[in-house]
Amino acid sequence: MNLRFVISANCFCLLIACAATTISAQALDISSGGQPTITGTIGGSVTGSASVLNNLVVTINFGEVSPANTNAIVKVVVPIGIRSTQPYQVSVSLAGLGNANPQAIQASDIGFGAANIRAMGNQSQVCTLSSHIFYPPFNNDPASTVTIAANGRVTYQSSLSNIAGATVILSGPRLKKTNGPNRGTNDGYIFDAIFAITPQFFAAGVSSATLTFTISAGPNVPC
Amino acid sequence: MFQSIKRAVTLVGMVTLLAMTAVVASAQQTTGSVTMSAAVSNYVELNSGGAVTLSGNSGGSVTTDGTVDTPLAVVVDLGELGPSNTNSFVELSVPLKLRSNVSYQLKMSGSVSGAGATAYSLKASDVGFGMNPSARPANLASGTDTNTTPGDPTVGGSTDVNGRWVFAGSNSTLNDFSSSTAALTGPRINKTTPKSNSAGLVVPAIFAIKPQFYDPAAAITISANFTISAP
Repeated sequence: MNLRFVISANCFCLLIACAATTISAQALDISSGGQPTITGTIGGSVTGSASVLNNLVVTINFGEVSPANTNAIVKVVVPIGIRSTQPYQVSVSLAGLGNANPQAIQASDIGFGAANIRAMGNQSQVCTLSSHIFYPPFNNDPASTVTIAANGRVTYQSSLSNIAGATVILSGPRLKKTNGPNRGTNDGYIFDAIFAITPQFFAAGVSSATLTFTISAGPNVPC
Repeated sequence: MFQSIKRAVTLVGMVTLLAMTAVVASAQQTTGSVTMSAAVSNYVELNSGGAVTLSGNSGGSVTTDGTVDTPLAVVVDLGELGPSNTNSFVELSVPLKLRSNVSYQLKMSGSVSGAGATAYSLKASDVGFGMNPSARPANLASGTDTNTTPGDPTVGGSTDVNGRWVFAGSNSTLNDFSSSTAALTGPRINKTTPKSNSAGLVVPAIFAIKPQFYDPAAAITISANFTISAP
């Protein structure tokens, strides 16, 4: 009697655990959205996985951004895959790039925006009651919003300087139809994170920074 | 026996639960990273600062003028330098345009050829030279440019015991620049702007020759080469 009870209890727990696993495993997920690209660079590169099944780990080297680079702008497009079984939001946080010399590269010198959300495939959830929203000022391609400030320095509609702590750039309704635990190639959405820097008379040196993209539960909007 | 089976079943349940938890942990990825870097190299640039100015000449003309923001390649016929030219000086002002994101050093080397080799021939010391920088305008990085020349070579000067004209000060003639020698130095020139911004430090390089009883020479060539670098 006791043995039967223990076995039954175990099975019940397993069922509950399995059900919970199925529900929560892919509740929120962020991954590569495809092969990143770079244009206008001299000596630069961008590395990242072309597969939407792999984690988002991208390394950008803008290359030479002094006037020795005569291109108008260095632009990098990083596709990012997102999946959720619930309303979501994507936030960004910044680390690094603390140049004390104001003539050196500052956070405001690197344009940053997000755009072009699209479904991965037929398992992407299409919601009709809510939209996916890019938050201002990040809702732009910074390479297309270049302006010159009064002091002659290039500015963008949005840049890394607009990131303060974990800053939300995107939110929306559920992203995938299924509750399956694994990433698929067709079960979420992809958006582009776009970076741009205009070669200028920056103070000589090397600069680096790291952006962390995080997906979490977002505003409770209907699908 | 019964207790052992019960423990075993319990253990299996625990292990399974842990395994499922591990599955949950490995399936979800809620963060991703983009790491970025960029390099800014030392950058210095020397171009023409615009059209040259030739004055006091008798005959002669500007053969190849300077064009702003294009490579400096000026060619000028200074005309007659003998006493038939009654002007005080034949003076040539060549605007140079300097740009940099770092401290810079402008060097010049000059030479005279084809003038003959007697004591009365026109020599490098007969060609006055000076830079004449102004205070930097507001659209450039703040800083002071150090001029190693006396400036406009037509200012000052005197005749020596033989009556030959001597330009005033040191680094005041091409003879002082027979090898590449610093003429102007300073801190970074440009503010942080794109290359398309035309701002730059425009400095006249001034050459002057006093017409005198030099030995006749049909084809004298006077050369001056400028080089900018980041010291």
